[in-house]
Amino acid sequence: MSWLVGDALGAGGHLAWTSPTPVIAAAVAGAVLAWGVAWWTGRRGGQAAPGLRLAELVLWALALSVLAVAVSGPSWVQEQGREEPGKVVVLVDDSASMGVREGAGPRGDAVARILAELGADDADVFTFDDDLHLGPPAGWDGRGTDVGMALSAVADRYLGQKLQGVVLITDGLDRGALRRGLQAESEAGRPLEDAVPALPGPLTVYQVGAASDLYDVAIDEVVTGGFAFLRTDFTLTAKVRGPPGLKVPVSLSREGHHLQDLDLSLDAEGRGEVSFTVRPTRVGRFAYELSVPVDDRDAVPGNNVYPVVIRVVRDRTRVLQVSGSPSFDEKFLRLFLKEDPSVDLVSFFILRTHEDMGAGWGSDELSLIAFPYERLFTEELSTFDLVILQNFDYKPYFDFSANELLGNLAAYVRDGGALVMTGGDRSFDLGDYGGTSLADVLPVTLNVAGPRTDPTPFRPVLSAAGKVHPVTRMGATPEESEAIWSRLPEQDGYNRVSGLAPDSAALLSHPSATQGGAPEPILAVREVGKGRSMALMVDASWRWSFSEAAEGRGNQAYLHFWKNSLRWLVADPEDQRVVVTPARENVLLGDDVRIVLRVRDAGYLPVEGAKVSGTVLLPSGATQPFEVQTDAAGEGGFDLHSTEQGAHRVLAESPGVPGKAETVFAVSDRDPELVEIIPDGAFLQRLAAAYGDRGSYRAPGEGGAPLLDPTAGRRVMDRSETALSSVPLVGLLFGLLSSLAWLLRRRAGAR
Amino acid sequence: MPRDVPAWSRRRLLATGLSAAGLLATRPARALAPGSLFRVAELVLDQGTTSRPEAWKRMLYEVIQSTSVECDPNPVTLSPEDPALFAHPFSVLVGTGALPALSEAAVEQLVRYLSYGGFLLVDDASGALDGPLARSVRDLCARLFPTRPLSPLPGDHSIFRSFFLLDRPVGRTARASALEGVTLGATTPLVFCADDLSGALDRGPDGRDRYPVEPDGELQRREAIKLSVNLVLYSLTSNYKHDTAHVLELMRDGRLE
Repeated sequence: MSWLVGDALGAGGHLAWTSPTPVIAAAVAGAVLAWGVAWWTGRRGGQAAPGLRLAELVLWALALSVLAVAVSGPSWVQEQGREEPGKVVVLVDDSASMGVREGAGPRGDAVARILAELGADDADVFTFDDDLHLGPPAGWDGRGTDVGMALSAVADRYLGQKLQGVVLITDGLDRGALRRGLQAESEAGRPLEDAVPALPGPLTVYQVGAASDLYDVAIDEVVTGGFAFLRTDFTLTAKVRGPPGLKVPVSLSREGHHLQDLDLSLDAEGRGEVSFTVRPTRVGRFAYELSVPVDDRDAVPGNNVYPVVIRVVRDRTRVLQVSGSPSFDEKFLRLFLKEDPSVDLVSFFILRTHEDMGAGWGSDELSLIAFPYERLFTEELSTFDLVILQNFDYKPYFDFSANELLGNLAAYVRDGGALVMTGGDRSFDLGDYGGTSLADVLPVTLNVAGPRTDPTPFRPVLSAAGKVHPVTRMGATPEESEAIWSRLPEQDGYNRVSGLAPDSAALLSHPSATQGGAPEPILAVREVGKGRSMALMVDASWRWSFSEAAEGRGNQAYLHFWKNSLRWLVADPEDQRVVVTPARENVLLGDDVRIVLRVRDAGYLPVEGAKVSGTVLLPSGATQPFEVQTDAAGEGGFDLHSTEQGAHRVLAESPGVPGKAETVFAVSDRDPELVEIIPDGAFLQRLAAAYGDRGSYRAPGEGGAPLLDPTAGRRVMDRSETALSSVPLVGLLFGLLSSLAWLLRRRAGAR
Repeated sequence: MPRDVPAWSRRRLLATGLSAAGLLATRPARALAPGSLFRVAELVLDQGTTSRPEAWKRMLYEVIQSTSVECDPNPVTLSPEDPALFAHPFSVLVGTGALPALSEAAVEQLVRYLSYGGFLLVDDASGALDGPLARSVRDLCARLFPTRPLSPLPGDHSIFRSFFLLDRPVGRTARASALEGVTLGATTPLVFCADDLSGALDRGPDGRDRYPVEPDGELQRREAIKLSVNLVLYSLTSNYKHDTAHVLELMRDGRLE
C-alpha cells in the first residue's frame, strides 16, 4: 500500500500544505467552477434520470476535490528528536599584538600548539578582534581586541544550548571595556561575576605570550598640552617602558632636525619618564618626534618613535618700537599700541643725541637710561613679533656693529619677523639705510636720485592694490575704503624712495609725483622670506587720528589702519587667506590622510573656483605636487597616501592671493594596537576567576585539557516530509472518479 | 654706562665738542617738513589770559638744546574754538584772572582735543594760590570731564621724570606743593601749574628774564626750565618713563627709589 502514497507514512506526523495560499485558493475556485460547468452542461440529462444525474455530480465533486487537494501541496511531516554531546567553542585572538616577536617567532605561534592539544577538529573555532569571525586565524592583523564582545557573541550564537566548554586563547590585551571593568571591580572589592557575560559552558583561558620572553623598549606616551605659546617654554614628557634597569637615551627632533638627547634609567618596573623643554620661536604647526634606539631584539620597533604635532600660538604680540626722536607720530602710535591688550610693547625713544650733550645738564639730573641696542638687536631680537623703526637712524648708535646688527634685523625678517619703517628726517635715505642689509628686506629701494624728501603737503591716494589689501581696507567695500582715504587729512611731506622692491606692492601713492612713470609710493608692503615688511614714507600718520577727531569722527581711521597693519604684519598661519589643514596630525603609515585647503578673499569670505596648488614635502626630501579647485564653500582637498615615516610639510598657494599656507602632519608606523604589548595575565586570571568553578586559567606554556561540562548536550531534531501531491493514489482516485462520473453522465443522456 | 649712546667713541667726543662750542646758537631744526616740527599753540581768550611767546620760545630753545625733539620755536596763537587747534597737539593757556565761560563749541572741541591725544598746559600767572583763575580752571575741568576732576599729580608721575628727574614743580613762584591735572586712563592731557611757569621762562625785548623768581632765584628758574622741558617731553612720550625697563634701570642707578 505504501507505494500508493509514495512512502510509508509513520504515526505521529502531521499534514502540512506546502503550496502558497493564493495557489490553494485558486485550486478550490477552479474546482468549484469546473463542478458548475459539469452541472450546467448536463442539466438536460438530469431531467430524464435524476438519480444518475445526482450520482454524476457527486462523483465530479469528489474528483475535483482530489485535484484541488493535490494542487494545494499536501505533505506528511514527521519530526523526531535525539540527544548529542555539547560543543566546544574556541575563541582565538587574532589582533596585531599576537604578532609581536617573542623569542624566535611571533607570539601567535603558540595558538597552533594549543589548538592541536585541544584536538579542536570537532570544535567550533572563531577568531576575534573587534568582531567575531568563523574559522581559525589567518594572520595577526586584527584591530581593537574586544574580549567581552567575543564572549557575548558566543552566548548569543549558542543561545539555549549548553556547551561543553568555551576556550579563549589570547594575550589579554583587551581594548574593550571588559578589562577595565574587571580591574575596577577588583580594586573596589566587589564580586567579579557581575562584570562578565553569562556563558553557556565553562571557560578556559589560555594565555599566550609572556613578558619574560619579550624585549621591547617603547615610548608609551608623550605628554604635551597640544599647543604652546610663542617664546614661552613648554615641555614634552616622554613616558618610556622597557626592561627594568635599562639605561636608554631619548632623543628629541623637530622635522628631521635633531634638537636634544637626554639619558634615562628605567626603574624596577621598567618604567621611566623624561622631560624636554622647548622654546618655540615661530608660530604655526610643528612636528616633534621623540625616539629611543631600536635594538635588534626589539619586538615592536614602531613604538620606539612617538611623533607629536604642536601648534604654536601667540598669547600677545610683542612689539619693539624704536624712535630716533620723540614726536607726535611716535606718541600716537605708542598710545595705540599701549592701549591694545593683545600687544606687549617695548618702546625705546632716543631722547638725547650726541648733539644735545653739551647743554650743561648733569647726568644725575636726567632720567635717561642707556639704549640697549646690542641686546635688542642680537639676543632679544627673536623675542619680538614686530620691530618698528620710527624715524630712527642707526649710525650714531650701532657704530662698528652696524653691519652685524642690521644684518640681524634683516635675517630676523626673512626668518618670519615683521618690520615697519616710518618716515622722518632720520629714516630711509636720510638715515643712510641705502646699501645696507636692512634695505634688502624693505619694500622700497633706496639711494634715491635727487632730493631725498619732498616737504610739500599732499594727500596720499589708494593704489589698485591698496583698494583690496587688508592693510588699507577701511570699509566694507573698496569704494568705501577709497572714500575714507580720500577724506583723510594731508600729510606734511614724505621721504622719497627710488621705487618698489621685488615682491612688493604700493598701497598708497603720491597723487602727482612719479618716478619712472609710476606714482611714488607712500605706503608699501612686502613679503620677504617668511616675514613681512612695511614702509610708510610719512611721519604724520597721527594726523589721521587727530584731524578726524576734529571733525567729530573719532580716531577710527587711524586705529583701523594700524590694527590692519599689525594683523597683517604678524598674521598667524591660521589667519592667512589661503589655509591648509590635514584631517589628522598623526597618521599611521600606509593610511590616507585628507588635506583640506580653504581660500578667502580680502574680506575673508570663501572664494569659489579658486585654484590652489602646492607641494607636499616628504621626509625623504622628495616633493609631491598637487592642484585643487575650491567649491562653493571655498574649500577643496585631496587624499594623500602616506608612504614615508616622518614629518610631512604641506605648502600651498593660490594665484592672485597673497601669502602661502603651510601646515605639517606626522606619519609613523606606530600601530595603536601595539602601543601596549606586554601580555596581561592578571586580567586573564581575573576573567577566569569571575566564573568561579566554571572558569580556569592556563599560564603561557602550561597547556592541559580545558574545563568541560560532561552533562552538556543538545537535542537534535530529525525532520522528514513526504509530498502527497504527486503520489499514485492521487492519479488513481481522480481517474476513477472522473471516469465514473463521465459514464453516468452518458447514461443519463447528457453529452 | 653713558646715557643714550653705547660707548664713548671718537665721533661721539667730536660731536660733544661741537655741541659745547655751539651752546649759544640754536641748532637748526631737522625735519621731514615744516609741519613735522614740534610747535606750541597758545590759547588766548577775550579776557583772563595773556600771551607769552618769548616764554615758549625759551622753553623750546631748551628742548632743542637738550633733547632730540625737533621744534619750531615760534608759537601760534589760537582760540579754543579754532579748528586749527588740531594741527597742534601741544597747547598752553596762560591765565591772569578768572576765565570767561567758554562756548559749548569750544568745550566740545577741547574735550575731543584732549581725549584724542592733545595736551593742554594751563599756567597761572596771577600769583594767587587758589585764586579766581584756579577756581575757573576747576569749573572748566568740571565742564570738560565731569567725572575726572582736577587732581594733584603724584610725585612719581611721568611728568617728573620724562627727561629730568624732578622733585617738585616750581615756576616764578614755588607755593603749590604739586601740579594738578586731569587724568584719562594712563595719560594726563590737561595739567595746571599754579606757580607761573611761563613767568619764570619769559624774557623781555632785551633778552633778559622778565620776572624775578622767588624764593630761590636762579636755581629755581633752572628747575622751572627743567619742568617746562619735561612737560614737552611728557606730551610726546606720555607714560613712556613708567615702562618697566626705565624704572628698573633708574632704580639700579640709584636715581629713583
